[in-house]
Amino acid sequence: MFLTRSEYDRGVNTFSPEGRLFQVEYAIEAIKLGSTTVGIRTPHGVVLGVEKRVQSPLLEASSIEKIMEIDTHLGCAMSGLTADARTIVDHARVTAQNHAFTYDERIKVESVTQAVCDLALRFGESVHDEDAMMSRPFGVALLIAGTDELGPQLYHTDPSGTFVRYDAKAIGSGSEAAQSELQDKWHSQMSLTEAQVLVLRVLKQVMEEKLDQHNVQLAQVTTDKGFHILNERELKEVIDTM
Amino acid sequence: MPDMSAIVNPQQRQFNPYAENGGTILAIAGADFTVIAGDTRQSEGYSIQTRYAPKVFRLTDRAVLAVNGFAADGNMFVKKVKQRLEWYRHAHAKDMPLRAIARLIQTMLYAQRFFPYYVYNILGGIEEDGTGAVYSFDPVGSYERETCRAAGAAQSLVQPFLDNQIYFKNQTAAQGSPHPAHLPLPDVLSIVIDSFTSATERHIEVGDGLEMYIVLARGRTLPDAVAGLRPQELPSAGGEKVFVLKRDLKKD
Repeated sequence: MFLTRSEYDRGVNTFSPEGRLFQVEYAIEAIKLGSTTVGIRTPHGVVLGVEKRVQSPLLEASSIEKIMEIDTHLGCAMSGLTADARTIVDHARVTAQNHAFTYDERIKVESVTQAVCDLALRFGESVHDEDAMMSRPFGVALLIAGTDELGPQLYHTDPSGTFVRYDAKAIGSGSEAAQSELQDKWHSQMSLTEAQVLVLRVLKQVMEEKLDQHNVQLAQVTTDKGFHILNERELKEVIDTM
Repeated sequence: MPDMSAIVNPQQRQFNPYAENGGTILAIAGADFTVIAGDTRQSEGYSIQTRYAPKVFRLTDRAVLAVNGFAADGNMFVKKVKQRLEWYRHAHAKDMPLRAIARLIQTMLYAQRFFPYYVYNILGGIEEDGTGAVYSFDPVGSYERETCRAAGAAQSLVQPFLDNQIYFKNQTAAQGSPHPAHLPLPDVLSIVIDSFTSATERHIEVGDGLEMYIVLARGRTLPDAVAGLRPQELPSAGGEKVFVLKRDLKKD
């Protein structure tokens, strides 16, 4: 990597002669260092799962927050620089609330995803003589889950501001193995419980530690009950059925 | 010696940015349709500015907005609502639902809380669940969903008539046959036409022409009695249908 560095590595808004934005590409690399995060869409709702890396026995596992609520019908899971995600989630929440305030309806999953991606491209943006508000691309990828009039949906966003809809998606350090496992096991008529179990199985495969209710987190967004993070008891029940 | 009278006797000057341009609008919701109507006279004082100034506007395939009060404000407001509807369509890849338009109109009106659009709005159309709906607004955005509403110059003449004919106020139902919650389309149209011919008789600011917009829920067709009046069907994407029925009113 060091050998190939060039002057195009520096500026966030300068294309290299090959037409690449290195800082954006490096930001996408940062996600591959993050913990594994999995999302699965079913006809009944979307299931999100994350691995929590508990680095020390003295660390309070419950304080690691990698799944967040955006609105009652929207949630997201993250991988990469999770601190950056707080800025993004805050923006998504404001967008969702503004939509509800102005239109008296829930914002669509795609619309809130689009809003997040608009923000992702704001790096290096500055008016003449003014300092840029954001100095670098976000170093985090999100799985945005939600339900609307089009049914349950799962979107993936990355630091380049691209978003794509998936039936099942894995991001983070174990994403390659996890994604091929999802490709094998996902089917269109999965029940929510099947999806929960599949998320945990996929995470278990790529995790170094033994999976338990402290080092993973599960959440779901269902058509009738909306966003919900499973508590330790609910999570243990799913783990026991694996 | 300078003229001291201006100092000794204070004078007041005023500029009034508003005008009142007369006319009346009205909307009635049925179970699976809504009728939104307005006369086309625009006046100021005893002068008629024009005999044809539409006050009823189609917004989407299932929403029609009637605007009454200060015509310049009304036209500008409709223009801005239409612009917001187009932006919404581009941002969210769908037409704005009726209920969302109602809320949008509230936020747009309240945004002008300290220099209001001098207009009374009545929004009519079909909800997401396929029912007919009428939303009425005051100039600063208070709104509610109702079955029927009249506004404008002849509101005080028409609304009591609607209360009696639509809500059956002061009418006692015969034993075993309660009043219906919604009337069929031919009955509603008759009531609308009667409301406007009567308002034209008794109010100088109402008359010239009548425009009635009919919004039909998905999968519904016009009853024969109404189809016989040959309303003009406006182009729509399928699903809900919108028709316009025009009538002359007395021009005196």
